[in-house]
Amino acid sequence: MSGERSGERFRDVLRGTIDGKTVVARRGATVLETAESVGIRIPTLCHREGLPPDGNCRLCVVETKGKLVISCMFPVREDGFAILTQSPGVREARRFVLSLMLNRAPKAPAILKLAGEYGAGADPRFSRDPDNCVRCGRCVRACRANRTEAIALVGRGFERSVSGPFEKPPPDCVGCLSCAFVCPTGNILYSERDGKRRIWDKEFRLVPCPECGTPVFTEEQIRFLGEKASGLCPECGRRRLASALRNAEPLSGGSRGF
Amino acid sequence: MRFEGPAAVAARREELARKDPDVRTLRVCGGPGCLASGSRELLAALKEAAVASGLDPAKRRISFTGCLGLCERGPLLELDPEGHFLRGVAPSDAAEVVGTALGEGKLVPRLSPNPESPEKESLEFYGPQKRLIMRRFGKIDPESFDDYLATGGYEALVISLFESGPAETLRRVAESGLRGRGGGGFPAGLKWKAMTGAKGTPRYVLANGDEGDPGAFMNRSLMEGDPLAVVEGLTIGAFALGAERGIIYVRNEYPLSVARLEKAIAGARARGLLGENILGTDFSFDLSVTEGGGAFVCGESTALMASIEGREGTPRVKYVRSTEAGLWDKPTVLQNVETWANVPLIAANGPEWFKGIGAKGNPGTKVFSLAGETRNTGLVELPLGTKVGVLVNVVGGGVRKGRRFKAIQSGGPSGGCLPESALELPLDFDHLTEAGAMMGSGGIIVMDDLSCPVDVARYFTGFLAEESCGKCVPCREALPVLREVLSDLTRGSGRKGDTDFLEKQAGLLKETALCGLGQSAANPVLSTIRHFREEYLEHESGYCRSGRCRGLYVPVIDPGACRACGSCQKVCPAGAVGGKKKEKRTVAAGKCVGCGACLKACAFFAIRAERKEHVG
Repeated sequence: MSGERSGERFRDVLRGTIDGKTVVARRGATVLETAESVGIRIPTLCHREGLPPDGNCRLCVVETKGKLVISCMFPVREDGFAILTQSPGVREARRFVLSLMLNRAPKAPAILKLAGEYGAGADPRFSRDPDNCVRCGRCVRACRANRTEAIALVGRGFERSVSGPFEKPPPDCVGCLSCAFVCPTGNILYSERDGKRRIWDKEFRLVPCPECGTPVFTEEQIRFLGEKASGLCPECGRRRLASALRNAEPLSGGSRGF
Repeated sequence: MRFEGPAAVAARREELARKDPDVRTLRVCGGPGCLASGSRELLAALKEAAVASGLDPAKRRISFTGCLGLCERGPLLELDPEGHFLRGVAPSDAAEVVGTALGEGKLVPRLSPNPESPEKESLEFYGPQKRLIMRRFGKIDPESFDDYLATGGYEALVISLFESGPAETLRRVAESGLRGRGGGGFPAGLKWKAMTGAKGTPRYVLANGDEGDPGAFMNRSLMEGDPLAVVEGLTIGAFALGAERGIIYVRNEYPLSVARLEKAIAGARARGLLGENILGTDFSFDLSVTEGGGAFVCGESTALMASIEGREGTPRVKYVRSTEAGLWDKPTVLQNVETWANVPLIAANGPEWFKGIGAKGNPGTKVFSLAGETRNTGLVELPLGTKVGVLVNVVGGGVRKGRRFKAIQSGGPSGGCLPESALELPLDFDHLTEAGAMMGSGGIIVMDDLSCPVDVARYFTGFLAEESCGKCVPCREALPVLREVLSDLTRGSGRKGDTDFLEKQAGLLKETALCGLGQSAANPVLSTIRHFREEYLEHESGYCRSGRCRGLYVPVIDPGACRACGSCQKVCPAGAVGGKKKEKRTVAAGKCVGCGACLKACAFFAIRAERKEHVG
């Protein structure tokens, strides 16, 4: 390794504190990642590993230099950073955000649990059309990441909601359930019965796994995935991969110790 | 007719100056206010009259021009070169105006607000003004490229390209202390310098002409009155910043702005002032207009860029600056159209000249739209640092007869409301922010004693709740909460403690919202509570002293002050005002519907809005 490269690496390591605890961070890493790497928990809602961050729920606020920033997107950029994840200001901001969410989603367990932690409560004076959706858009981001882009956030302000085009069942939906899977409040409902799946007011026929017969994928999903689709359920897929690996020749030149 | 170099530009300008020494032009205000009061019809009538009177159209011209400012008295006219200013001109005046003014260069006294001294500068409305950005309004036809060139257009680009170079041009803008005219007042130089260090191509310069504040029309007037100044400013900026592409973002409710800008761009491109190898140099830059859908939030920088990219107009978290990763993730400098229009002035005249105008730390002028309860309203350009009182009492001519000044709302819906002490405040970015308002894009609404701060906050908060994009929780969910409480207060269903609750919620909204618009959306509530807390507390107990909130007061006529004029009785729709001719009037509280018409009608301050409980 050349001296220059190690120097660069050295510059990329930053030192600072989170809640007074000395922490080492990679330059550009988010405060959230850095905190999690040392076991400090910061509550999140719209954030989800694997999806692009959006920073819309404002729950993961932390304090730095007397200001509130959102930890899921705020990058660590300088040596000597000092972050507070439980200061009175932070706790008050989280209580505020959670109370607002409760007006909308009064029964969502994930929010109720956090609300208990932060002493937040819904105010009956402002409760309107509760539907348990907090408009975090995780479903929309998952759908976009899958490249199906069947649903989107539509409308403005308080009227914003998740929907297919023109508030009709989304034509591009392949019934993959990613949206329901990532929803933090369990608001995206679906049902499966008699080899059929219903979601977003659309019905999909399920195709049985060729090995075990468990219905996992929809016909549309297999068509959408094209060559990439094996049609195997996750369980059988894993089994087949494991056996392929077991039978594979070791890579030449690979070092495996003894 | 492409200009191949600076000499060709200068030669053409000289040619234009030489030609037609005795041309006279009647310039009809084509600003938004005058268009609304019928200047389009007036222009047609004048042209017809000119044809009828057989004047030589080459020497006796009639054209639209940019906003002349005194919108309230429109349609307005200016005679060039005499400088005669006429107001309230109707199509029926066309023959006389064409014969006397255009034909003979004489004043039509009955249409002049001040026949003794017929230039508009003699009016108190114009006295304190310094029209720099608006200097061509009234002097040129905004659709004429030659008019722009003849009035010094493109001198600044020639200086930048052939004398200064990019580094010196950037230095001039940075040293000038020019601050962003779109609202925040961020130093343009800092933004420009940040872009020079950023990597990536292509690089963009963007102009924000999205102007979404209700009642604001300064950006529109600029784009319609002197579009080439914006184009030239962007070209100079692109040269200094090494940008290849520029986009002007304009809301589609401004079709005339779009048309004028597109015409200006086409004119510049045809003359080699946009496109490849500008003026024969190796600097290439091109410009286009993108129309927005008219969402208020698309005036926010990152939402604006998302909208240009074809995505939904919602802001993004801005921990990476646009100068590093803006439009299409490329280095981008975005400024308000008025900021760009300042650039040619600075590039040509230098930073010292610019700093000589305005106040320390706040150089230059700012265009304001003055609306509300003053006698004069319209478009105003003042050196920064001018006292608010000068704007209200000199330019605006004070509040209407019989009324008292109460407050100004500065900075649009997300600006703030300032009380009487604000009259002593210098109008600049820092003082307004410090006082709890902001410059915003320059909207100023003057309120008198019949305006209720709680009701004003309710109106603006309602607007902001409607216009919130809904992306982040605080803005989407807290604005309706604030609106609800404010509505309760103005309807008499407020609760004890609502004021403190509002203050707390608005403070948290400011701290937690995602974008600048969400953060400043708390301002109407915070600033009105800060300066008018007492009135809020009165609303909690069901009383509105301004006589604005229906049902929260009873009008009481003070017999000592009543002059028995009967104005109140005439306007009362409920027949609640009693009393015979030449007698002092009284209000029957039981019949009163709380419309406030009598309060407005009384010129003698004889009617007070009293607490209901105090009236038997």
